[in-house]
Amino acid sequence: MSSKENIKRFEDYEIEEFLSDEFFVQWVKNPDENTTHFWEKWLVANPGKRPLVTEAAAVVRSIRYSPESALSDEDYVELFENIIRAEEGLREEPGNRGEKEGKWYSFFSVRRAAAFFLLGLAAWAIYASWPRSETVQPEVRWITKVNPKGQKTSVRLKDGTLIHLNSKTILAYPEDFSETQREVRLLSGEAFFDVEKESRPFKVLLPSAEVEVLGTDFNVKQNGDRQLSVALVEGSVKVKDTLGNQVMLVPSEMLQIDENGNLNKSNFDVREITGWKDKYLVFKNDDFAAVVQKLENWYGVDIRFEGELPKGWAYSGIYFDESLANTLEGISQTSQIKYSIQEKQVKITGKK
Amino acid sequence: MNKNPKSSAEKTVVPLRHFETIKIYEDKSDQEIWKSFNLGDETAFNYIYRTYVKDLYRYGWQYSKDGDLVKDCIQNLFIYLRRKRGELSEVANIRAYLYRCIQAEISKNRKNEARFRHAEADYHEGTFAMEVSPETSLIDSESALSRHELLAKSLNQLTPKQRKALLLFYEDGLSYREISALMEFSEVKTARKLIYRAIASLKDLLKPTTNR
Repeated sequence: MSSKENIKRFEDYEIEEFLSDEFFVQWVKNPDENTTHFWEKWLVANPGKRPLVTEAAAVVRSIRYSPESALSDEDYVELFENIIRAEEGLREEPGNRGEKEGKWYSFFSVRRAAAFFLLGLAAWAIYASWPRSETVQPEVRWITKVNPKGQKTSVRLKDGTLIHLNSKTILAYPEDFSETQREVRLLSGEAFFDVEKESRPFKVLLPSAEVEVLGTDFNVKQNGDRQLSVALVEGSVKVKDTLGNQVMLVPSEMLQIDENGNLNKSNFDVREITGWKDKYLVFKNDDFAAVVQKLENWYGVDIRFEGELPKGWAYSGIYFDESLANTLEGISQTSQIKYSIQEKQVKITGKK
Repeated sequence: MNKNPKSSAEKTVVPLRHFETIKIYEDKSDQEIWKSFNLGDETAFNYIYRTYVKDLYRYGWQYSKDGDLVKDCIQNLFIYLRRKRGELSEVANIRAYLYRCIQAEISKNRKNEARFRHAEADYHEGTFAMEVSPETSLIDSESALSRHELLAKSLNQLTPKQRKALLLFYEDGLSYREISALMEFSEVKTARKLIYRAIASLKDLLKPTTNR
């Protein structure tokens, strides 16, 4: 199919034709260079068709599965562990492989397994899934810590390194480090590292990058799959991303990687970025969505919003170890919102 | 991140000579990823799990409203696939392949599930309930809400087959070829027709006209 033919063909399209055209849907769903180039050019040549195309694209994007049920984050982790675990059970009893074919795994039924696991906490390793570096010894036991919304913890490793874990964070670390290096894995969320100085290098492996340090204090925040920020308080760190970029940070520098993999280095406000580990909840010119997200994660609540807010609404403030009610009270005093709390549900009303 | 001026500071990108990159699967074809998985690459498995497990659960849910059953089936499926590494055949589209597997796994396991009390029809066709996401504004604002609701209602009055095809096409981004294979049509044009007819029947609701 040449582009010329395409252009001709699409000129006569009605909405139902756009909506049943693979090439069009592909552009809306997973735009690549080819489709983007084509459709942008086509729209310039056919400006009259723009409303139709916009509408068709809106329809494609808006049709979804009804969100009746979703796999929870806990189940997501637990299923994964069961799958890896089943494999290990198998390895211990190689004789079972053939004869019990197709049956043996019923031992690991989710329902039964649930009774054996303390959900969320100190769960089994995710190590088998991770890119292995040559030095990792298979017999090392990994411990996975999972912090749900509203829960912050800290963990001290065998070498003396202290790690603060923010809410909604998953960290895996070995029970013991190898003789040559120290590695931990931050699977999602945010952690502050106070690394003990010694000769073995310390590495934080992330889904899309790694951070290598000697002795140092720094904060790592993994947002989604690729967004990442690393803020250095003391010492020095080196960040390597999957594209082969490598950046050195000096104290008070922060490196941010956006979802497109772009790197950006800047200075940062220590209280704003690392205050959470010392129980400081910090808002700095945050828009409403950012405030809501911080509150939800910090206190483990769900927030519902009603009404309207003035354009450009923003909030700044610092709270030290405050209750949810006090924090909301503080916010409501200086900005145009009201609130009510019912257990884990918060309703915020905007009064424009 | 908010719009603090600090984020617009200097840009530093340092290229590197010798660095073992973690493989980036996003840029690889499904075929290559599956091949890596088949060869025992754990990163590939991790990538597949992370990318598809939530959607797989959602798809399985269309065939059984028993969440534990769906979870068990997903678990069994992945355990099975991991066990068969080294002898798995080629897969062109991982999503379509996993969907087909989970559908088979659920119908196999459900026979043993006395607890399943849904109507017989749900068994084979799946439910495939749809919604029209509220954040998309369909163009004309005044009648937008009612059109929205009307569209959602009409969509859910399509046959389960039509809904399934539309969801696979729009939400899952599968091609006609993949949809045909998944729905066991012998010809690709059957899927095309199914979707075209469903959309054509909604045509009046979809047109960006203001006078309704």
